[in-house]
Amino acid sequence: MSPTEEDFELELRSLPGVLNVGISHRESGDVDGVKLVIHGQDCAAIKTIASQIASLYYPDATVSVEDASQVVPANAGASPRVALVRADFNAEDGVCEVQLAYEGRTGLGRAGSGQLFGGAEATLTALRDLGFDVPYYLLAAVSVATVRGWPVIVTLRSPSSDRDMLGIAQSERDLVSASMATLDALNRFLSNGQKND
Amino acid sequence: MSSLHAVPPEDDEYYGQHYEPWLFQTMLDELSASELGIGFIYSVLDLLAQRYELSDAVVVLVHESFGTQSFRLGRRSLTPEMTENFASAGVYCEPDVVPDVERDAVRTACQLALSLHLARFSAAQDPLTKIANRRAFDTALQASAVRSARYGWAFTLVLCDLNDFKAVNDVSGHAFGDDILRQFGFALRLSVRQGDTAARIGGDEFAVILSNAEGNESSGFIERLRAHLEKVGVEIDFTFGIAASPSDSTDPAELFRIADGRLYEKKGIKH
Repeated sequence: MSPTEEDFELELRSLPGVLNVGISHRESGDVDGVKLVIHGQDCAAIKTIASQIASLYYPDATVSVEDASQVVPANAGASPRVALVRADFNAEDGVCEVQLAYEGRTGLGRAGSGQLFGGAEATLTALRDLGFDVPYYLLAAVSVATVRGWPVIVTLRSPSSDRDMLGIAQSERDLVSASMATLDALNRFLSNGQKND
Repeated sequence: MSSLHAVPPEDDEYYGQHYEPWLFQTMLDELSASELGIGFIYSVLDLLAQRYELSDAVVVLVHESFGTQSFRLGRRSLTPEMTENFASAGVYCEPDVVPDVERDAVRTACQLALSLHLARFSAAQDPLTKIANRRAFDTALQASAVRSARYGWAFTLVLCDLNDFKAVNDVSGHAFGDDILRQFGFALRLSVRQGDTAARIGGDEFAVILSNAEGNESSGFIERLRAHLEKVGVEIDFTFGIAASPSDSTDPAELFRIADGRLYEKKGIKH
């Protein structure tokens, strides 16, 4: 068996739970250290086996192991998110239909007036269908040309104040962009769980 | 030797997307230059990084034997926090500028590279001890014998047999016996030099090809093996038989027969 670096890495990756192997080198090109990221396995046991394998290939290399399962997910503790399930446009009657999901329930909204306005309005209706008391009305939904594509900007306004909420999103379809931009505009409002019930 | 060339489709489209022949051609060049393995995956990430001036790139593959595996540009490790972002198969780039058609091509090629590397590795490896298997040993012995006959290069064949291994299995169980074999294989791997071949060729039978070594140089290897067995904590002894090439023979079958005969002679068994 040729003790190449590739075979060395393959052996390490064959260990249970290994997600990623990082290898650092000295200036001479020799392997200096190996870092494994694992999931759902005993760090100490994996480190012992990895050190044994390393001793065969690169006896001077240091071995470290980090457990990804110990990392607290970035969204842990956050309130559930409103998710866009689908956004369809019926070309015959010009109606946009948007379906949203929140905490296992779905809400449906329909609106006309084209894919930009219709997509934003249908999203607001779907949010109300989910039980959110959304105190904003749609002021504008426009697509703008940029070097990276055509994002949609949605502006919502509160009747009780002049404060506008702006959202921006870009996807393959204007309707989806408009719906996502509406959710983006309401991001902070929705994350506070402003519901009727 | 002829090299491979990517032939662009006539309509410049590939499944409805703009076709970029550079990637396919450079991947084929890479394939022609080396065996397909993990190194290929890093080469392709390097190519992408150069082409699109990426600061970072990760390809995530899902393999039935390995589970989810991430490969990061420059052979760098991910932080545990990053793994959450790269949980599903795909090509992730910073900045996010690589076209979908190229991501798909890279992911497919990398998946193939990983599978072929594992297949090549597994075909030559004994799954229990992680040293060469009988097939790889036969190939190595044949190659060494041919070189010895043609150029006079010396090598030594060492056959090892664990003493009373059957009793270990009978008394302590097969799981314990497997542990002994695993540890013996590990001690063998520690004891050989680069270029030597250590193999498990039967139940409790092992073989080592010591390159560029005359028969008397094998004593150094035996000493190293005994020291490593003690270090690893294997409480089982072994008997060995040696044959040297070209002094004993340059025929692989004859060398094996000589080493085997000497091993059984030491065990006091008529062969």
